[in-house]
Amino acid sequence: MSDTRMNRRDFIRSAGALGVLSALPVTTVELAFADPQENFTFAHISDSHIQHIKGTEFVRNWDRGLIRAVAETNLLLPKPDFVMFGGDLAQLGTKAELDHGAEMLSELKYDIHCVMGEHDYYLDLGEYWSELFGPHYYSWDHKGVHFVVLNSILTYDQWTYERWPTAEQRMLEMAGLDNPNGSPFMVGEKQRAWLRQDLAKVKKDTPIVVFSHSPIQKIYKGWNFWTDDAEQVQALLQPFNDVSVVYGHVHQIQYNQIGNISFYAVMATAWPWPYPQSYAQATSNLPKLTVPMNRADPFFERDATGWQSIGVDSGRVAMHYNLYNNTNRTVAFNRETGRPEDTVYQTADSRIAPQIHY
Amino acid sequence: MSRKTMMAAGAVVVVAVFAGGILILADEFTEKDQKRWQDEFMTVVQQGRELWVSADLGTNGVACAQCHPNAANTHPETYPKFQQQLGRVVALRDMINWCIQQPLEGEPLKLDDPRLVAMEAYATYERRGVPLAPGKH
Amino acid sequence: MKKLLYSMVLVAAFVCAVGLTAEKSAGPSPPLGLPPVPYPEDNPQTPEKVALGDKLFNDTRFSTTGEVSCATCHAVEKAFTDSPLSVSEGINKLTGTRNAPTVINSVYFETMFWDGRSPSLEDQALHPFVNPVEMGLEDHEPILKIVRSDPEYVKAFKTVFGKTGDQVTMTEVTQAIAAFERTQVTGNSPFDRFYYGGEEDALTEQQKRGLDLFVNKGRCVSCHVVEQTQALFTDNRFHNVGVGINDIQNDVPELATAFLKADLTASEVDVKVLTDKRTSELGRFAVTRDFDDLGAIKTPTLRNVALTAPFMHDGSLKTLDDVMVHYNNGGVTNEGDPVNDFLSSGIRPLDLTDEEIDDLVAFMEGLTSPEFAHLAENVDTK
Repeated sequence: MSDTRMNRRDFIRSAGALGVLSALPVTTVELAFADPQENFTFAHISDSHIQHIKGTEFVRNWDRGLIRAVAETNLLLPKPDFVMFGGDLAQLGTKAELDHGAEMLSELKYDIHCVMGEHDYYLDLGEYWSELFGPHYYSWDHKGVHFVVLNSILTYDQWTYERWPTAEQRMLEMAGLDNPNGSPFMVGEKQRAWLRQDLAKVKKDTPIVVFSHSPIQKIYKGWNFWTDDAEQVQALLQPFNDVSVVYGHVHQIQYNQIGNISFYAVMATAWPWPYPQSYAQATSNLPKLTVPMNRADPFFERDATGWQSIGVDSGRVAMHYNLYNNTNRTVAFNRETGRPEDTVYQTADSRIAPQIHY
Repeated sequence: MSRKTMMAAGAVVVVAVFAGGILILADEFTEKDQKRWQDEFMTVVQQGRELWVSADLGTNGVACAQCHPNAANTHPETYPKFQQQLGRVVALRDMINWCIQQPLEGEPLKLDDPRLVAMEAYATYERRGVPLAPGKH
Repeated sequence: MKKLLYSMVLVAAFVCAVGLTAEKSAGPSPPLGLPPVPYPEDNPQTPEKVALGDKLFNDTRFSTTGEVSCATCHAVEKAFTDSPLSVSEGINKLTGTRNAPTVINSVYFETMFWDGRSPSLEDQALHPFVNPVEMGLEDHEPILKIVRSDPEYVKAFKTVFGKTGDQVTMTEVTQAIAAFERTQVTGNSPFDRFYYGGEEDALTEQQKRGLDLFVNKGRCVSCHVVEQTQALFTDNRFHNVGVGINDIQNDVPELATAFLKADLTASEVDVKVLTDKRTSELGRFAVTRDFDDLGAIKTPTLRNVALTAPFMHDGSLKTLDDVMVHYNNGGVTNEGDPVNDFLSSGIRPLDLTDEEIDDLVAFMEGLTSPEFAHLAENVDTK
């Protein structure tokens, strides 16, 4: 009958990121910045897909997803340094949807930086987006880390400018994930040139975190879990010691390591997507490292959706997935093995039924 | 039947059997038949696909394909099964109706509605080749 | 007449208990519609233990005023609740913040209390004794004093546990109480007879329509579980359905932050949630400190629900009709009220017609077991 203190959840602890590091061998902790103040956290909300029905009616399900993510982010202790929005704020890129989404985001008590998604872009090529949120690609420095935002959902000029008779049609064609009329995403030559000269000013041992919407990898072309010039972008990033790419679009947990670069997907607040291997008629390259999220119970509209609190420890990322109605998951860079790993479920014998029951 | 009638009936049958100058037996279908029937099936699969991406099945503009691109993660090979969301063992079309009623906020279709058959045809076609696993959660 | 009926109920409980001696490990076969009762290995049922538990359950000496026992808030003649009270009254009529849930079928819960802060019936029994608004004791010593000295208790504890004097601890006391509670299992309602017993006439046509709504348009079955061969009517999970929390929704950030900073122990949480209404509405968050659980409350069973008005964890909804209106509105009591940010994602407006609401209420009235059916006459669900 002892009177015990309750357990606390990792990511609301003041040493949220350090809480993860403390699970790794002591020597790796010594590699951290001498000054622990250099470790910090930020939040990441993505893929809200605000969908207009008519008049003032929006799809309630997606609205609630964004509302809840914002409300919970506002409760975070310690406070995050800033919030990222990962793209696809709107579903069909209309002003009504972007405004409604921006209104919900404005409840956040922090600065936000936004990433473009294809659902935001293909109606007016990001014109209204820029009015609301600024440039489509940019960079900034924060506590010794160089942050870059890329617009990685561009595609071939012919498809963008000539193929479709109306902007609405173009948006609809890109909106269908499995639409055979779609076109592969890319960062494109212009942005790669910009990235090259942006990174030229950055020292090789400065940690870099790149935000994009599409994965900067080639995972499954049929659903545009794809970036056509992935290798070229990766080549620009490989020379740096600590690089993390954080991407949206896939609406599921994914993570990977390619050379020097760690990749982390963020969850959607709106709805989950199946893993590509669940499409029996095509092959795909889901990173083998990834332990899938739990399969959803569709009765609970927020199941398999969520938002993220991201810790940056000595320039490497620890991703705390806040999953509604689910046990939260943490995927953090493991310095021993040199790759992102789930802190609980990484080994095959620690998987649970909902992660393999697809 | 009188003997006369039987013989007349038999004559009709023989004539019918030799109608096209070739022997036609009712239960022997040809490759031409198969191709035609497969095409008929694919027409309905295509109708199912159109319903799958349609914004009009429910009342809020949400389409099946938004959460189930290429009908992925619908697991038609596991039906009939105990469907937790319905509290009982059901067939695939019952779950399709659940989705129409719940995330799509629409009216469920009647169980013999050809649209349900079309969507089942599309979902199972996209899942072809996967072994049956009835009852699997 | 009433007295005769009540003693019949108790005899029925006894008969259940007696039947248990035949197969100690397996227990009698459960009532229609229920799975086998989960008895813990370390607390086997015996008729003597059940009788002892019954006595303890009704003993008002285990309170500072000598007037409050478990039965005060969980009275057998009110289906083990204190209907029509919204929130319970302990010593000196002090009120708490929560509605007394029924003991009937509580054995099927995996956690106890509306926020699941207790893992078992045995553990649950410890808490009310030392809560300032329930029995009000400082600690359990007064109880131990009585059970170690009162001749009837001394004899009973010796017979049941083979223990005397200091060997008799709160473990034995709570095991006996839990054993008694485990006999309160009822199924075989009109719904069970229709759905599992194949009796076509057990439900009225209206109730059958209500059943159809329950598993389809009403969206009830995902939390109030009905399955192919049994129905617990609870998923043993916690959901924010917009009751109570709506009143504090603007203050959640401040309340949640303050609660986290206070870093209370388990006992302190126990006292706080029953004495501080606003903290109480944080629901299971006060137990797990998980954002997921903000405002989340355990799904109760709906068996015998028609007898336990008023409804919800704070007793704020007077009738089943009011309950249905709240759910129909998508988690707000008055249509158009703001929905709280942490509402369970299973809750949304239902578009039920008035007639459909009546059908669902009628269905819920069909969940009353025969042992308690006589109490239904006194109940007005509209």
